Amino acid sequence: MTTRAFQELQSLKQIVIKDAWPYSVGAVMLGLLNIVIFIYFASPWGVTTAFVFWGAWIYQLFGGHPETWSFFTLQPAMMESLKAGILVHSESIADIGLVVGAFLAAAAAAQFRIKKIKSARQVVGALSGGLLMGYGARLALGCNIGAYFSGIASMAANGWVFGICIFFGAYIGSKILVKYLM
Amino acid sequence: MAEISIDALGEACPIPLLKIQKKWPDLKTGDVLIINIDHSCALKNIPEWARKEGHNVEVEEVEEGVWDIYIEKTA
Amino acid sequence: MSETPTTTLIKRRTQAPVKKKSQIGLTVAAVLVIVAIGYYLSTLKVLASIIWFIGIALGVVLQKSRFCFTASLRDPILTGSTSLTRATIIAFAVATVGFAALQFTTILKGGPIIGNVKPVGFHTVIGAVMFGIGMVISGGCASGTLMRMGEGFVMQWITLITFIVGSVIAAMQYGWWDEHFFSVSPKIFLPQTFGWAGGFFGQLAVLALLYVFATWYEYRKVKN
Repeated sequence: MTTRAFQELQSLKQIVIKDAWPYSVGAVMLGLLNIVIFIYFASPWGVTTAFVFWGAWIYQLFGGHPETWSFFTLQPAMMESLKAGILVHSESIADIGLVVGAFLAAAAAAQFRIKKIKSARQVVGALSGGLLMGYGARLALGCNIGAYFSGIASMAANGWVFGICIFFGAYIGSKILVKYLM
Repeated sequence: MAEISIDALGEACPIPLLKIQKKWPDLKTGDVLIINIDHSCALKNIPEWARKEGHNVEVEEVEEGVWDIYIEKTA
Repeated sequence: MSETPTTTLIKRRTQAPVKKKSQIGLTVAAVLVIVAIGYYLSTLKVLASIIWFIGIALGVVLQKSRFCFTASLRDPILTGSTSLTRATIIAFAVATVGFAALQFTTILKGGPIIGNVKPVGFHTVIGAVMFGIGMVISGGCASGTLMRMGEGFVMQWITLITFIVGSVIAAMQYGWWDEHFFSVSPKIFLPQTFGWAGGFFGQLAVLALLYVFATWYEYRKVKN
């Protein structure tokens, strides 16, 4: 009796912790998590606004004055968050939690591994890609999560427009990737 | 039948599968392609592509976070 | 029972696989850190603790399901696969239902339109195109970059650096963009344009159609 129960638990461990989950399972969970965030925090899931704050706080550490940036002077709510600091900044906490959660999931499945840079091309891709994403997300007022996922879920036109355009961007990016970075 | 190896360790998302797709026309029926990866995305999309095309796939985790994927060309 | 060449190859393998250690040490350490930080944050502000655990959950879900928005937008063209594209459609549909309920009840009580309804215009177009290019060449979008940082990809830690730099530069130039674009562009809430039934059911219908299309697209060349 107990060995059968043990077998069941072992296979459960395999499915939940070791094996990859189906995309559809992830999809439903992400949808639900976004709803939960929206309920508790008055606005949906977003990832990249926090990066402005991280840059601002780092800049502050070096003696800079990010509170002079128009991003903060023109948006009182943002200025308030800047002054309140990272420990109570929801999006920052969620972002860091995401990194740690991914680590936890990988380690629990014994699949964590440091993957070092393989070529200079990769570094070029990472640096230029990051820059494009950082600036682009500010222009579009969100990233693939805030503008695309949460935007569409909010039944907002900017979400759909973002979706169409990011698709074209991905197309251009693929061409660049295959031609120069492969 | 021949055995072709691809080392895709450290390569980012689409590149392992793209390398396979590039080499694929050169393989004859019965040949086996072995690709070594450490990217969790590729771990999913490579077998998915291979099975969709109707080939035999086997995955072996050789180390923490490193896998060998064996694909046998069936047609 | 016939053996495929692949299984014989695996058996013949000369290089014996490295004995897989479990990473139980790392796992336990992670759990302890997570709980400790969660507890600490709760002493500052309960919501901070809640969002911490939600963030952890997001990371776990993304990593375990290998969810990748970048692939959902890139693979249809690059590799012909739409499985992730279809998964994102499911996520959108689920979230739409929940969001609509929140938005509807808020408006019903006389409140404003809540959610990420932002000014849409040329800035959206350029921004999204830039973002699309960037995510493909760096190997991950915003959530993907964070997820892969946690998985141990050094490349994404590097991406984060310029991701922050790009965000900061844009934040410094926010005023210009606001004057010429954000403040003069409309915020379009679909139910306002199409009515609640049109907006809500219309969006779900479009998502369903896209799902069907994406399924057809992936399998159109596959022989039975």
